[in-house]
Amino acid sequence: MDISSDVIRGYNDTMILYLLWEQPSYGYEISKQIKTLSDGKYIIKETTLYSAFTRMEKNGYIESFSSQSTDTGKRRTYYRITEAGRKYYREKCEEWVLTQEVVEKFILKGDNRNGND
Amino acid sequence: METIKNYLETMFLNLPNTPEVYRAKSELLQMMEDKYTELKEEGKSENEAIGIVISEFGNLDELAADLGIANFVQSNSQMPAGRALSLEEVKGYLADHAKHAYMTSLGVMFCILSFCGPIFLSAAAEISPRYEDLLDAFAGAAFFLIVAIGVGLLVYSGVSVGKWKYLKTERCVTDFATTEYIHQRMESYKGTYAVLLTVGIILCILCVLPPIIFDAVWSSSAFWEDCSGAFLFVFVAVGVFLIVMGSMRLDSYKQLLHLNGQGTVGGSYVPNQQNEPQYINKTAAAVMSVYWPTVTCLYLIWSFLSFDWYITWIIWPIAGIVHTLVKNMLAK
Repeated sequence: MDISSDVIRGYNDTMILYLLWEQPSYGYEISKQIKTLSDGKYIIKETTLYSAFTRMEKNGYIESFSSQSTDTGKRRTYYRITEAGRKYYREKCEEWVLTQEVVEKFILKGDNRNGND
Repeated sequence: METIKNYLETMFLNLPNTPEVYRAKSELLQMMEDKYTELKEEGKSENEAIGIVISEFGNLDELAADLGIANFVQSNSQMPAGRALSLEEVKGYLADHAKHAYMTSLGVMFCILSFCGPIFLSAAAEISPRYEDLLDAFAGAAFFLIVAIGVGLLVYSGVSVGKWKYLKTERCVTDFATTEYIHQRMESYKGTYAVLLTVGIILCILCVLPPIIFDAVWSSSAFWEDCSGAFLFVFVAVGVFLIVMGSMRLDSYKQLLHLNGQGTVGGSYVPNQQNEPQYINKTAAAVMSVYWPTVTCLYLIWSFLSFDWYITWIIWPIAGIVHTLVKNMLAK
């Protein structure tokens, strides 16, 4: 089954910031990493990704700059995380832990489902 | 890759041409391009790669708030404010207007030629006194007959394109691929247009030749001398026919290209949008807009008053140089 975009919307920012944590990256690279890390279960749409970029840039969580790719030499827009972005990421992580804790309590498990735990 | 570009252009067709929209478009294209390249490298077929890229593109509604285009995106989904013309419609429009241009210019030509009939017949009446009354009567009749044919053609050609009036009343747009098609047709037509215009103008200028030649060659014959005026009109009529036909056809292309407002992405094809020279103030712009008509008037006045045709052409190269100088001086 597919992930509903309504549910995951609040955490697109978290995924992008996680991927930018170590080093700057660009649009397609990020969407590819999201797909790989989620085992192909979540494919982010181009428009969703771009709207997240513009929104986070406006809020000062990321910065964009133009740079040439090391392998192909193609000029691309790269994004890098800012200090405010790191702070926001940590908040989102805490929020998720809390959210997960709460929602978890209402999820049927074990005998009624074929879940793995 | 072309398909993807066209898809993106179509999605952005009715959006305003702001820096934000422009940036969004090029960023999205970059991502789609990267994805497409990688899919192809993985061994996917052209169609498969395009299918995947387009299906994973998403929806512009998501960008609406960020780009400040909410009302554009919304008005588009609610009612088709700008109906996109199909390629068939565009082809029909161009074909009908080519015919319209031909008939209208033919009508104008007949109206100018209407002077010839009376001139011929009056000249004939001069030299054959026996049939003078009859020929004079025919002269008048011929005049009205030819005018009637000309006006008939004008009316018919006007009515025949009436069905395309909705382009002006309804708000219509053309998508990117169609705009490109029109633009290409216009570019390839421009060669023909240049020839039509040049020959037309040359004929108009040369219209003074028949009287001069007839005067010199048949100075003894009253008939041919009287007729020389008629040939002047023939030259002018053919010249005007070529000029009017050429300009009207070019206009039909421009009309279609102007359907897209300059603010929208499809409208970035509107010709000369950037090339239009900018002047320092309104007076300068007004003066420059009447520059060439003024030069033409000066040329004709000087030439007809002095009849020194062999030298009056010098006005054109001089005017050309002065034009460049003045334009650069008054330009912003």
